[in-house]
Amino acid sequence: MDWVGWAILVVRVAIVFFGLLISVMLYIWMERKVIADMQTRVGPLRAGPRGVLITLADGIKLFFKEGITPTAADHPVYAVAPILAMFPGFLAFCVIPFGTSVTLFGREIPFQLADLNIGILWILAMTSLSVYGVVLAGWSSGSNYPLLGAVRSSAQMISYEVGMGLALVAVLMYSGTLRMSELIAAQDTVWNVIPQFPAFVVFLIGAIAETNRPPFDLAEAESELVAGFHTEYSGIKFAMFYLGEYVSTVTVAAVAVTLFLGGWRGWWPFDGAVAWIGPLLWFVLKITAVIYVLILVRATLPRMRYDRLMNFGWKVLIPFGLVWVMITGVVVVLPQEYGNRGRYIAGAVIVGAAALATLVAPLFSHRPASEAEPGGQPEGREVRA
Amino acid sequence: MLTEYLPIVAMAVLAVAFGVASLVVSRMFRPHRPNPVKLSPYECGNDPVRLPRGERFSVKFYVVAMLFIIFDIEIIFLFPWAVRFRQLGLFGLVEMAFFIGLVFVAYIYVWRAGGLDWATSVEAPADADLASDSPRDPMAAADEELAAAMHDAEVAGAR
Amino acid sequence: MPLDNVVFWVFAPLSVATAIGMIVVRNAVHAALFLVVNFFTIAVMYLLLDAPFLFAVQIVVYAGAIMVLFLFVIMLLGVDRGDAPGERLLGQRTTAVILAVAIVAELATAIRAGIGFTTRAPGGFDAVNPGGNPSALADVLFRDYFFPFEVTSILLIVAAVAAMVLALRRSKSLSQREIETHAGDDLEAYGLAAPGAPGTVGEPSR
Repeated sequence: MDWVGWAILVVRVAIVFFGLLISVMLYIWMERKVIADMQTRVGPLRAGPRGVLITLADGIKLFFKEGITPTAADHPVYAVAPILAMFPGFLAFCVIPFGTSVTLFGREIPFQLADLNIGILWILAMTSLSVYGVVLAGWSSGSNYPLLGAVRSSAQMISYEVGMGLALVAVLMYSGTLRMSELIAAQDTVWNVIPQFPAFVVFLIGAIAETNRPPFDLAEAESELVAGFHTEYSGIKFAMFYLGEYVSTVTVAAVAVTLFLGGWRGWWPFDGAVAWIGPLLWFVLKITAVIYVLILVRATLPRMRYDRLMNFGWKVLIPFGLVWVMITGVVVVLPQEYGNRGRYIAGAVIVGAAALATLVAPLFSHRPASEAEPGGQPEGREVRA
Repeated sequence: MLTEYLPIVAMAVLAVAFGVASLVVSRMFRPHRPNPVKLSPYECGNDPVRLPRGERFSVKFYVVAMLFIIFDIEIIFLFPWAVRFRQLGLFGLVEMAFFIGLVFVAYIYVWRAGGLDWATSVEAPADADLASDSPRDPMAAADEELAAAMHDAEVAGAR
Repeated sequence: MPLDNVVFWVFAPLSVATAIGMIVVRNAVHAALFLVVNFFTIAVMYLLLDAPFLFAVQIVVYAGAIMVLFLFVIMLLGVDRGDAPGERLLGQRTTAVILAVAIVAELATAIRAGIGFTTRAPGGFDAVNPGGNPSALADVLFRDYFFPFEVTSILLIVAAVAAMVLALRRSKSLSQREIETHAGDDLEAYGLAAPGAPGTVGEPSR
């Protein structure tokens, strides 16, 4: 690579990094405004037009606040934890394609930082690292509430990571590629959300739990754990946890858009000099829509009790994810092997398996059969309870 | 091959640099007026009763972590299979169904053994043999002991 | 390719340094953190060897899952902030030295045998990876080695059963005894329930 190549690389990364920061700023404002609307409040108003700069003001405030390191804290780990909490979100976003490409200085610059051939696995890897910020923050604080919050929350995050991983596998089976750009190409005609709707729901539930958003924000259940794992953090270090949480939210929304909602693809044909703007706008619009749904969920549902949260993750989400993976396999492979007859066989296999599951399901409940939950209906039931 | 990871490395460097820089710069501008109360672990304004040194946790968290590893490995096996299962055809499907089925056996065992239950003793009082399986609530046991001791003391005092 | 060398010479010393750090450091959680970094550098080594799938697996399974288990166990046993405990098992040090020498010898032999006692680097990763590393791996794993793959599930069952047996035995006998013998003094000391009992700390509050 010559120096122009290096310069372009640095500029691309910087644009994505600061773009993410700005989007976090705007999405926090949006969340506060939307929730305020739903609670018939006004929400942030003073900083900037309609309060849009509120996040910036908060950031500046936190920057100049005193940072406290408790006496019992483990100093190096205490300082590293906020940074660890922040960066998985940024790194996971690197593989997301957020548009087509643009030609500058005679070079084609794709709107994607790294088109890895293990794209989805990279996202899973970064998700699995995100637990460290939480668990180390809680442990290093040398205080009771953070430790409890951290252990709870890390158990929650690893539990829902399994469900999320199964949803990823289902999408992968349907599209047949790990590369994010090919994944979007595979959604040329039909977005994955239509054939893979159950996987989409599982993914969204898992993603909400992964990012510790309400109704799964058990990590910082104020009523019982004060603020959970970041109780002892203040000033800029607290700001970093806040930032990390929202960067993860944006990244998770971007992953949902890319895997299920066709990525940057839209219907409106843009051509000519500004051909790259259309896809970019579609991408931003779709992310905003997904985040709006997450905000709606937050505004609507009360926080779950911890035992219900774990029960839902392990007893509903994971078996359902596994069953859905097998259904996808049967539906794709049998017609391919046996032609049209395969469709009937596939249908028969699924109906038979469902009947068997219905018969076996009551065995897994400790409660009397009348209250037993049928194992195969996961979406939202338990959440609403 | 490796060059496609360069942007990720650059992003990691930028993110860490941003984090470290804001920590360092903030340290220069912010006030620093510690006092013992401010620096003590937060317990809602009370003096901390105890610090979490050598804290022990419910064994359930260990079970969850172990189960997580099992399912994580299963998912990792699913990934290459999912990329290739159209070519592997029926053989691949049956093979994976068998694998998932076997892991499911482990899952069912853990479920039946109560490894997935987070609120057994309170949630299912009707289930008699389960209730006897679970250990006595330590708080309740201690309460009883304490009550008995106080009662003894009272009796002694009255005498 | 020079980039390969640069990456190797950045990550190989880091790998060795974190491995040494992991052994030398006294605090159990710090040691675990060194191990995480070490796993990550090993993952980069896989990437250098044109094995991107293993790279991801190393991060997901080792850095992500197994280290979380380690951290939980460290917290579960309450050995964090560890002033190093003395030698608990007799003769552990000598056994460790012997085993370390044995494993170094074994690895050296295996590596020498693996590259065929030549100094030439093995080549042709692209030739054996048509259509990308994960799908090539899938062909080998699910066709040629399908039986070992199925046996892996037995291994996973054993792991699950072992975890449950350990957990259940602990909650039935050991902790019951602990509660009975120590409940009184612990309560005096802490004003709270006995440590080590299941369902004391981190239990969902109701």
